[in-house]
Amino acid sequence: MTKVKICGLKESEHVKAAEQADAIGFVFAPSKRQVTVEQASELAKHVPVDTEKIGVFVNATIEEIEKTVMQVPLTMVQLHGDEPDELVEAIRVPVIQAFSIRSKEDVRKLENSKADYVLVDAPGTDYRGGSGRVFDWSLLQNATIDKKRLIVAGGLHAENVRAAIGQTEPYMVDVSSGVETEGRKDSEKIHKFIQQAKGGSMQETIEKKGFFGKYGGQFVPETLMKAVKELEQAYEDAKGDPEFQKEYHHYLKEYVGREQPLTYAQRLTEAWGGPKVYLKREDLNHTGAHKINNAIGQALLAMRMGKRKIVAETGAGQHGVATATICALFDLECVIFMGEEDVKRQELNVFRMKLLGARVESVTKGSATLKDAVNEALRYWVTNVEDTHYLIGSALGPHPFPTMVRDFQSVIGEETKRQILEHEGRLPDTVLACVGGGSNAIGMFYPFVKDESVKLIGVEAAGQGVDTEKHAATLTKGSEGVLHGAFMKLLQDDSGQVLEAHSLSAGLDYPGIGPEHAYLADIGRVQYKPITDEEALAAVVTFSRLEGIIPALESAHAIAEAEKAAKDMTSEEILVICVSGRGDKDMATYADKLEGLA
Amino acid sequence: MNRLTTLKEAGEKAFVAYIMAGDGGLKRLSEQVQYLQEAGVTAIEIGIPFSDPVADGPTIEAAGNRALKEGVTLEKVLLEMQQWTFEVKVPLIVMTYLNPVIRFGAERFAEECRKSGISGVIIPDLPFEHRELVQPHINKHDIPLIQLVTLTTMEDRLDEILKSAQGFVYAVTVTGITGTRDELSGEVKNFMKRIRAKSPVPVYAGFGISKTRHIDMLKDEVDGFIVGSAIVQAFHDNKIKEVEPLIQAVTLPHPV
Repeated sequence: MTKVKICGLKESEHVKAAEQADAIGFVFAPSKRQVTVEQASELAKHVPVDTEKIGVFVNATIEEIEKTVMQVPLTMVQLHGDEPDELVEAIRVPVIQAFSIRSKEDVRKLENSKADYVLVDAPGTDYRGGSGRVFDWSLLQNATIDKKRLIVAGGLHAENVRAAIGQTEPYMVDVSSGVETEGRKDSEKIHKFIQQAKGGSMQETIEKKGFFGKYGGQFVPETLMKAVKELEQAYEDAKGDPEFQKEYHHYLKEYVGREQPLTYAQRLTEAWGGPKVYLKREDLNHTGAHKINNAIGQALLAMRMGKRKIVAETGAGQHGVATATICALFDLECVIFMGEEDVKRQELNVFRMKLLGARVESVTKGSATLKDAVNEALRYWVTNVEDTHYLIGSALGPHPFPTMVRDFQSVIGEETKRQILEHEGRLPDTVLACVGGGSNAIGMFYPFVKDESVKLIGVEAAGQGVDTEKHAATLTKGSEGVLHGAFMKLLQDDSGQVLEAHSLSAGLDYPGIGPEHAYLADIGRVQYKPITDEEALAAVVTFSRLEGIIPALESAHAIAEAEKAAKDMTSEEILVICVSGRGDKDMATYADKLEGLA
Repeated sequence: MNRLTTLKEAGEKAFVAYIMAGDGGLKRLSEQVQYLQEAGVTAIEIGIPFSDPVADGPTIEAAGNRALKEGVTLEKVLLEMQQWTFEVKVPLIVMTYLNPVIRFGAERFAEECRKSGISGVIIPDLPFEHRELVQPHINKHDIPLIQLVTLTTMEDRLDEILKSAQGFVYAVTVTGITGTRDELSGEVKNFMKRIRAKSPVPVYAGFGISKTRHIDMLKDEVDGFIVGSAIVQAFHDNKIKEVEPLIQAVTLPHPV
């Protein structure tokens, strides 16, 4: 399939509009579309990781080019001047060399290029780098150029791009002025151009989807591609179907017991001496945590797809229990993979799952925790993909999971927003939630992301401290990589092996983080702070005694950070904590770690 | 890769052996490569160990874990290969999960592959949609990115993948993960026929191939076979001689 490059982008809105393109171009040479290295680097944060980022240069030095490649960073270089062959060959990334085609003579020049790809364009007028005029495509008909090296540009737009592809069968088409209105890029024209170039029929099967900035995607073995594509389609249909939404909300109300209160925490407010503190009470959900919001949504979707077998992973066991619960309710076959370590430390939840009729498979491989449980669940899914739905428990995995889990958990933030307006008549100043994979946090944050006055804080597990080797602070200490189907942030070693995460809290014990969180961190919309095991345990005690609520160890991380945040806030301000779950499951840990508590 | 095309034109079948680099220590890799090329394999896949190999069954996963314990990394494997002084007579293909490549840098990976004389790259968790991440970099050094197709690959997607296929097509014979199996399902034969009719490059069947009867069943429909778990296990158990009949069942016109 011919690839598409959208060139001369200057605004993040248009970079986003070009999400489905295979490549985007930043122009560093003098032009009305010129950007600085800094601008390009900022824009690059919105570009999916697998999209080529191509820098356009005219007679720049090798030093300038290499520096720009490093800083943005760029994945390819496009040359529009009179660059000598030595320079073309010296560039380390793949190179596109552009040629203005007026005659057969020009075609011969292009045939001798040393570049990896050659771009043909109409002759420039007042500046180099293409003029948007259409050239005579038939000139190329007898060229001895390998079609796999050919990029066609010059006067393309949505209406003629199919014809251009048909005539020249190039590796890529390149458009700039053809997707502009009055000299500025036009998102709608970008969409239309890509759609036309890709040809309507291919849309659903090959389209790459599900990126949040550079993070996300569908990095799964080929055997699963059909299943994730089907799921993508099924979810899109369900999302727009009022009947599905009605059914989902029916179960949230009648079975889970929503809506949950936004409790004013009077004693905590007094003790901290800062902002008014409100608690979003996900601990009051049936099964004791937010996980059930997502489990119901996905189980309904699985049945809609005709799948009556469910596989899931679980760490602390909360998602496993939620999944086993829903499978009992809807009479679905249920297999839960759980790391052997977690089976030991969450004995109670293991028995709950069994009592509910689920089969619990203990995973002894690797670190025998959540990461390995996900691996086994994925392998099980690959083998049983035709009749089984993978009910993933966090905002992780290949698209559409991160989006779908976020949507099913957004009920948390939506209710909170409505409730705080009822209580206070205005939005909160700060909202906090704990982050493992990140599902309660993204559900809480998502409805507030566009409200810029609301400060959002995600709280990671620092385990024994971020400067030790025993932590799960992915955004504080992690780096970019691919795990479990998505490009995200990971804890990994120098050779790309994923490290074990460590947290006293089994639910935060995961070495990755949902792709949308990684994006929100990149653009600075959400701040992520680490909290240690010790700080979280202290918060468990404070919270239990001041508010009469024993929180889950995961939620206690958010509470501990809230106490810190409250110190810089005034009594005029409002702070909301997402209490993602209750502490029953952690009672053995609490009894052990808080022994001697007076 | 030209060698693989030549083979197809000559009507001969290819046997691609998979080994886990560093299982038993990285020094064993050269021995294993030399042994296999003497035993008559057509090409060798060098597997890179990864902490989370979700496309692999227990045999290859365990081998990977042993290699990781030896401290084996993608970089070390490529550098080790650059030290070899013996004659490498067969194409070598790197099979790695995506994350080590991203961590290493796709551009550096491509460069080191070239220096190591690598003839192809297979990345099981890099689907067609996202191939841009690696393909242009390795193609810059004329190294193809080999795509997988499976029983669940949808028809129009299959057409697109085959249209731009490089090197050979890795046709997965099972809906599942790697590992030896007793039987292959009956639909596999038709699946291979369908792919071969459309593919511009040779079609090799892999995953679960471990017995001569698998080879007999599919021999007329494919251009070659990829055998992994059976070889990995045999090397681990020091019983590699027992795999030779399997190699001969593919490469010899009249099996002995």
